[in-house]
Amino acid sequence: MNTAIADHHQPIKQRLILSLRKYNAVLRVSVANNLAYIMEVIFRTLFLIVLIYVFEQLWKTTFAVRGITSLSGFAINDMIWYLAATETIALSLPQLTRLVDQEVRTGQLAYLLGRPCSYVLYHFAQYLGERLVRFVINSAVAFIIALIFVGPPPFTWMGLLAWPLVVFLAACIDYVVYFSIGLLAFWTEETTPFFLIVNRMALVLGGVLAPLEVLPQPIRGIALLLPFSAVLYGPARTLVHFQLLPFCWLLVQQVITIAIGSLILYAIYRLATRRVNINGG
Amino acid sequence: MLLLNQFVRTARFIGAYAAANIQAAMEYRISFWVQIFTMVANDSLWLFFWWSYFQQFPVVHGWQNTDIVVIWAVSACGFGISAGFFGNASKLASLIMNGGLDAYLGMPRNVLLHVCISASDPTAWGDIIFAVGAFLLFLHPDPLRFGLFLLLALAGGLIFTSFIVIFCSLAFFLGNTEGLAQQLLGTLITLSTYPMYIFNGAVRVLLFTVLPAGFISFIPLLLLRQFSWSLLAAMLGLHRADHVGGVRHIPARLAQI
Repeated sequence: MNTAIADHHQPIKQRLILSLRKYNAVLRVSVANNLAYIMEVIFRTLFLIVLIYVFEQLWKTTFAVRGITSLSGFAINDMIWYLAATETIALSLPQLTRLVDQEVRTGQLAYLLGRPCSYVLYHFAQYLGERLVRFVINSAVAFIIALIFVGPPPFTWMGLLAWPLVVFLAACIDYVVYFSIGLLAFWTEETTPFFLIVNRMALVLGGVLAPLEVLPQPIRGIALLLPFSAVLYGPARTLVHFQLLPFCWLLVQQVITIAIGSLILYAIYRLATRRVNINGG
Repeated sequence: MLLLNQFVRTARFIGAYAAANIQAAMEYRISFWVQIFTMVANDSLWLFFWWSYFQQFPVVHGWQNTDIVVIWAVSACGFGISAGFFGNASKLASLIMNGGLDAYLGMPRNVLLHVCISASDPTAWGDIIFAVGAFLLFLHPDPLRFGLFLLLALAGGLIFTSFIVIFCSLAFFLGNTEGLAQQLLGTLITLSTYPMYIFNGAVRVLLFTVLPAGFISFIPLLLLRQFSWSLLAAMLGLHRADHVGGVRHIPARLAQI
């Protein structure tokens, strides 16, 4: 009987391994593609440098004028490293919504649906590859710039260990949100406005301009409950001010957001693919 | 008289293209209005950040909430005018690379102007609506001050357009510079929407030369706070210098400020 169960499970395990290999190959190809245009990726970091410089000037001036050394627990050094971390995540987001939108509009989607892989997972692997390259380069540039501006980072080894995990989960949240928006192209004439509004809400209410502690109540409370804080504020705070309890809450918030977001994405995807008509080649 | 006639003809030409571009965008009516609404909401979100900031720090270096409203309104309106009336300027680099200029070279109108006005970004109207709305709502200006605001926003729009044209035109010498122009435009927009007091020394010089963010928002703010003819002349003089490439005049203009 044990042999029968083992035989029954073997194909599932093998299928899973083969499937993982398949998407791993897509991810590696995506990384290679993005490394082929490495100068373009490096060039994009110019904007990152400008933003870190502007924020550094803004908060240094604010601290100096108000005569304070700490704001809601953030010293100027913590604040700049926090902002460098949020900008690193925010500016590594690929143009996922536009890609999906274009594939729906041009009919390219029909060719991808016919492939022996899931359309959603294929794009997820491709997205992760592109995001990984951008994130690594942004991190290197942000690290150097912040180091020059305010000196060594206040990171703890626990914060550094937790950072890759929380950033990966944040990237997953971004994926389900922006992929879902891209799929709206099945029903709407233009998805850019939806992308724009969600992206801006993520920047302002997600804590990319300042830690959420700086926002006045009740907006701070609302911002903390919204999923945007799990993408930017939470991971950056974990890196700069690691505390076990907020870290655990962040993981719970990220997992719940991914679970709900995936359900919504799945529902939209199912509804959308029903509208696809594929005629012979 | 001849100059006036030419001005009127050019204004009509720009107006006709703007109307045609709006009609083309209105083909997808819902999308058009959604884009405008979301751009207004987008700009309002940035203003909301500054409102939160000034809730915590009411006056920094003499700057208040209303000053931020002014620099956001002037910058957004300027950018809206640039993208709304001269929206194709940002595609100039790819037109140069792909031989797209050929279609315009045979036309009887000024080639550069024709290229720039032949497309429009619908979201630009959202920027203009936001800017005018925010300025009227928060500053309650008299008609003269409102007229000055529109004039300064127009000058800002021409600076934005000139800036894009200059960097996209580098495609004639350097290959595709669309990415470079977009990055620098993003930088210019960012720098023009932050209070000038946070920048010092060499960066401030940069903001009045290579990246003219100071002329897009800071000088208009000074003029709207306290009007001065010499400052207005400096502002409009720089704008002309930008067009003819008379960069050597800029330090003299700055000295007047």
